Amino acid sequence: MESLYILIPIAIVFVILAVVIFFWAVRTEQFEDLERKGMDVLLDDDDPKPSAPQPKSKQDSK
Amino acid sequence: MTAQLPEPPEGHCFHCLQPLPDDGALKVKIAEQEFPVCCYGCQAVAHTIAEHNLLHFYQYRDTSNPLQIPLLPEELTELEAYDDPDLQDEMSYQVEPNSSNTARETTLSVEGITCSACAWLIERELARLNGIEKATVNASTQRLTVRWQPDQVKLSQILQTVAGLGYRALPFQAAQQELDFKQKRRYFTKRIGVAGLATMQVMMLAFGLYFGVYNDIDPEIRGFFWWVSLIFATPVLLYSAQPFYLSALRSIQAQRPNMDVPVSIALLGAYGASAYATIIQQGEVYFESVSMFTFFLLLGRYLELLAKQRAVAAAANLIKLLPALAERELPNGELESVAAHKLQVGDIIQVKAGAKVPADGELLSQVATLDEHILTGESKPLRKTSGQPVYAGSINQQKSLRARVTASTQHTVLASIIRLQDSALASKPKLAQTAENLANKFVSRLLILATLTFIGWSFYDPEQAFWITLSVLVATCPCALALAAPTAVTGAIHKLNKHGILLRNADTLNRIQSIKTVVFDKTGTLTNGTFSLQQTWVDPNAPFAAESLLQLVGKMELTATHPLAQALAPYAKSSASPIPVRNVEEHIGSGMTAEIEVDGTWQAIRLGSLSYICEWHPNFVPASNEFQVFLASQQEVYLALALGDSVRAEMATTVQALKQQNIKLVMLTGDQWAPAQQLADQLQLDQVVAQCSPADKLNYVTKLQQQGAVLMIGDGVNDGPVLAQADIAVTFSEAADLARTAADVVLLQGKGSSLLQFWQIAARARTIMRQNIIWALVYNIIIIPVAVAGFITPYWAALGMSASSLLVLLNSLRLYR
Repeated sequence: MESLYILIPIAIVFVILAVVIFFWAVRTEQFEDLERKGMDVLLDDDDPKPSAPQPKSKQDSK
Repeated sequence: MTAQLPEPPEGHCFHCLQPLPDDGALKVKIAEQEFPVCCYGCQAVAHTIAEHNLLHFYQYRDTSNPLQIPLLPEELTELEAYDDPDLQDEMSYQVEPNSSNTARETTLSVEGITCSACAWLIERELARLNGIEKATVNASTQRLTVRWQPDQVKLSQILQTVAGLGYRALPFQAAQQELDFKQKRRYFTKRIGVAGLATMQVMMLAFGLYFGVYNDIDPEIRGFFWWVSLIFATPVLLYSAQPFYLSALRSIQAQRPNMDVPVSIALLGAYGASAYATIIQQGEVYFESVSMFTFFLLLGRYLELLAKQRAVAAAANLIKLLPALAERELPNGELESVAAHKLQVGDIIQVKAGAKVPADGELLSQVATLDEHILTGESKPLRKTSGQPVYAGSINQQKSLRARVTASTQHTVLASIIRLQDSALASKPKLAQTAENLANKFVSRLLILATLTFIGWSFYDPEQAFWITLSVLVATCPCALALAAPTAVTGAIHKLNKHGILLRNADTLNRIQSIKTVVFDKTGTLTNGTFSLQQTWVDPNAPFAAESLLQLVGKMELTATHPLAQALAPYAKSSASPIPVRNVEEHIGSGMTAEIEVDGTWQAIRLGSLSYICEWHPNFVPASNEFQVFLASQQEVYLALALGDSVRAEMATTVQALKQQNIKLVMLTGDQWAPAQQLADQLQLDQVVAQCSPADKLNYVTKLQQQGAVLMIGDGVNDGPVLAQADIAVTFSEAADLARTAADVVLLQGKGSSLLQFWQIAARARTIMRQNIIWALVYNIIIIPVAVAGFITPYWAALGMSASSLLVLLNSLRLYR
């Protein structure tokens, strides 16, 4: 049971860390539009490669 | 890495997901795949999206919610008007006013956003423009915030870019209320986060302590757990629960103690006692109860705030700031564009066909046809001759007209109606909320009871007095009562939103039960406000089928400027076998002429009013005097048509359903008596008053309110004041801006049945609210004597409190179904 005296304070530190991260997320407006941010992962395509000319791969499936 | 683009449902347009037209679809080729589209607009948009490598849009968009707006609305042609510097000052602001940076920022409402993919598409496309510094789209409020350099890009270009993607972005009138929503939301989000994270920890420790009760926990470990719980519960109580303390203090200052007073006392009391117990290491702790209670209560408040914000934002999006520009005639006869508010008395203005008159004036043109329904409710356009007054807000129906300004801006008839509405809004009585009142009484009695318990027990058993008083406070803590109304309101707002009904004012739900009278406006409310063919008479001896004749009429009216022509022109596209026609000509003021081929010879025909036809057929008497438009050759009259305003979809059944609930139904209209009475008879309304001015309507409703609460449903500017006066004001989304600002409820779908839906959901919400309150009261009344007698152990008190709150929550959740 002695380990509790170490583990629980560590847990407290983690919770404080979580609160700090949460506040940062609120400040950077990540909670302003919940519908939007979830999709950003899929949509924000940093790949500059053009997506239109890709002839071969999909002709068959049509 | 381009993935396969999803196929649209069979028979639907690839871009807008509307059904394809019968006469075959167009094709669009994107990423080596071919898709059907419904029109050139969609084809062009799909091409743009493909060219700019934005195909992710099609991959990730939400297809369950297709676009509902036409792609190329007529305002597109007028977008340049937004570049007017006066107008820009009004609707945007310079980000850094006192520096050389000229960047401007504004927020636009965007119609047609259905999912996050739409938002992404707009952002990416705008980012391609030069001079755009920032463009962010909020998909849930359908707003676009954009910052741009005016010397590099014009606002009209931004609007056009968005329009090029098939959305419609326009400046709008933000509601005052909305401005502090953002701040409030952030305030709550932070507090909920802290409460949630801390509550989890406290609960975890509490479970350990629960089992410890049975397993004889080591007192040292128990003490340690208490201390840790204290550490976690402290920020919840001191930070997260702030809104309750502040609200409680404010209500005490206002001498109307609200629900937050006992909530605050119970929270602080239980926390204080637990902290005391922790310090002296004796007694009981309630850290998990107070943390959880704070968390759930905060969550309820936050959800309520979100639902309200959505409703208010959506309602504000509807109120568009249209450019109020006027064409002023210079002394040399040239025209210049000026902002309407700069017009002076005596200026000469020109108003194009189809445009709104920007100021009150005196007609200089020979004749003009004006639609004044926005001011008077009169459904038929009026014919005016030189020298007669024209009013700001009316719409010029025919060719462009000239007028001399007699009053502008604040002095127009329109402005006086707005003032009438403002004063009515200001004097709207605030109905006392029953739940609140109930809570007030309950609160004060509870406090007295707790004091008495403490005094009583101090005589009997001083050691127990504090703990028993505390368990009275905890067990009877009115959480269930506090949650009763807000959870039901949140549920109702959500349910209404799902049915396309926006609730701008939650008080409305409390008032619905007391409504005795429903007052309808006529044009645009009971009816659609547009003319359509109501009745057709065909000469049985005519050489053509009725459909072919109608098609002929439609073709002739295609080029006509007459106000009724718009209702008939669509028949030109019917699939009936066509009659050959040539030489269509319009004779302003009388009708149309043309030649048609009958049995190989060309015959002259006329289309027009009865008097025009009677020049050829002096003895012709129509079958009914409702017919207004006739088609005749020199030999015989072929066709007679009656046009009228049709009753709004599903309005008749709604009216019947309301009647069955013993609601008095009244129609107030600015229209003439004859059509008003006819419609009232058709719908079986109880009472009808026609030819009302906005002030007459206001007086009439004020009188009705002496007999009971009134629900008013209307759409015109002339309804604005009376809507503001009514206990519940309902309007349609296509209504005039003024009517929408006065309304408590906006029906987004133009169906009459929405009114009934609103009625039913509101009534149901009220019932559930009542059940909640009754349950909470019953529970508290039963638990009080038991707690006062000292029979409640701390865990039972906490359990009872949670169970009663949970029941209230579950009951309210029924509204979501």
